[in-house]
Amino acid sequence: MDFMTAFPYWGIILIIVVNAWVVSRMQFEIRD
Amino acid sequence: MQAVIDYILQNGFVLFLTTIYTAFCLYIGWYFKKKAQSGVGEYYVAKREIPGWVVSLAFFSTFASTNTYIGQAGMSFKYGLSWAWVGLFWAIFCVIAWLVLGPHMRNQTARLNSFTIPDYFHFRYKSNLARSIRILSAATILFATLWYMTGIAKGCAHVLTSVLDVPYAWGAFLIIFVTCAYTIWGGMYSVLWTDAIQGIMMFAVAILMLLLPFIFVGGIGPMMERLSDSVHVDAKGAPLGNGLLTFGSLVSFLYILGIGLAVGMKQISEPRCLIRFYSIKDTKSMRFAMIWTPVFLGISLVCVMGLGALVHGMATPEEAAYLVKNTDEVIGFMLAKFDSPIISGICVAGLFAAGMSSLASVILIVGTAFVQDIWHLWKPLPAKTMINRTKWTMFVYCLIVFVFTLYPPAGIVELTAFSGAVFSASFFPAIFGGLYLRWGTDMGALVSMITGIVVNIVWRFGFRLQYESLKDVHEVFPSFVIAFVVYLVVSKLTHHRKPDEEHLNMVFGS
Repeated sequence: MDFMTAFPYWGIILIIVVNAWVVSRMQFEIRD
Repeated sequence: MQAVIDYILQNGFVLFLTTIYTAFCLYIGWYFKKKAQSGVGEYYVAKREIPGWVVSLAFFSTFASTNTYIGQAGMSFKYGLSWAWVGLFWAIFCVIAWLVLGPHMRNQTARLNSFTIPDYFHFRYKSNLARSIRILSAATILFATLWYMTGIAKGCAHVLTSVLDVPYAWGAFLIIFVTCAYTIWGGMYSVLWTDAIQGIMMFAVAILMLLLPFIFVGGIGPMMERLSDSVHVDAKGAPLGNGLLTFGSLVSFLYILGIGLAVGMKQISEPRCLIRFYSIKDTKSMRFAMIWTPVFLGISLVCVMGLGALVHGMATPEEAAYLVKNTDEVIGFMLAKFDSPIISGICVAGLFAAGMSSLASVILIVGTAFVQDIWHLWKPLPAKTMINRTKWTMFVYCLIVFVFTLYPPAGIVELTAFSGAVFSASFFPAIFGGLYLRWGTDMGALVSMITGIVVNIVWRFGFRLQYESLKDVHEVFPSFVIAFVVYLVVSKLTHHRKPDEEHLNMVFGS
């Protein structure tokens, strides 16, 4: 399997990890 | 009598699982019946008190449907393992939806006491023109949802027919009206809680389905050997060779990008996805959903988006030559070839879950769009009457969908894809501008909405279908960009139309 065919499979995992890191440091508040 | 016994013996496990699952969905609807009746806020948005894990799973199961698990998974049989690029774009838009829209949308809609996407446009832009936007967007929802629901009901009815030999009409009736029943009973409460249960099933089934081809051929090594030098033929009849593993050999990247964006962008523009943000309970719940929704969707997509390509390892050259022209049958073929009633039963229950979770969400969206955004505007209704009329609207709409499912019009897949592009171009600029730009105006929102619809139609029928070189350029590209620019330019030109500062301070919590 070439690099570009394999890319989306580990790309999705990478996005999940980066997103979790960003959200865990994000400041926001859910507020009659 | 003997025929009935034989049928039950042959399909016993699938029947058992499907019956348990259906009864459980109906029980959830019944359980929330009283709570949902207590007010419009309860029935429409579950009083904004739903835990993060429920909303997260519900967003995943609402966005992913039978089209993902059967249609898109089967497409990789034709286009190879690089079809997973489509899944990568979907995962990116899932992250964008939760990061960019989630917290802002939850806070603004609570401040505005908004229950639907169309009424958000009205309350945020606050004018008589915004009232027209509300009606136009509600009408768009009523038109576009018909094709989407028909497509899903068709897919589920075919699954019932092929697995349990249930006549097509009965399959369609069961799938539409079981979903309709629990949605009518419990409103948004039952939609979200059944969606969450269905999301768990879908996640498990995605992982299970990925394992089947590897188990069948004896592991990863033998599978890669079969795929790297396949004697099967592609859609044009040429030998595949190592095309299944080679980027760009079976499908153009532009085509992948078109499907990836056209479907993925539904997460940032379609009411069935956006309404999820309305119901979330608190900061902790929002943070959980923002982290875990991409996990549920992303892992499922890793499992299913290349699944069709792996089925080449299970098929003979004759079977492959048929399947490459009928990719919707690839997953059914895989289950039949694996030949385990228990595995088939679990997977069929998961496929039902994928269909019903998406159906329930849009049934409620249709009811609220017609009653809250058209009827209630024309003639204000008391809360109890609104809930009752929403129920009747959902029932009548389901009847119409049932008729369309029995007699589907030509080009329903195309109509559904086209509707998705219309939502992306027409709704997103007005939503994004409403959430982030104090200077966004009602005129900017209305003109961009109309522009999105017009450019979609013109590009599709005037350019894409006329010129061979443009056939892979999906209408979502030009319509989205042009509609967004139009929103910005018209809002700047009509800045005097923005709502008063007091209203904007309330909307933005400043």
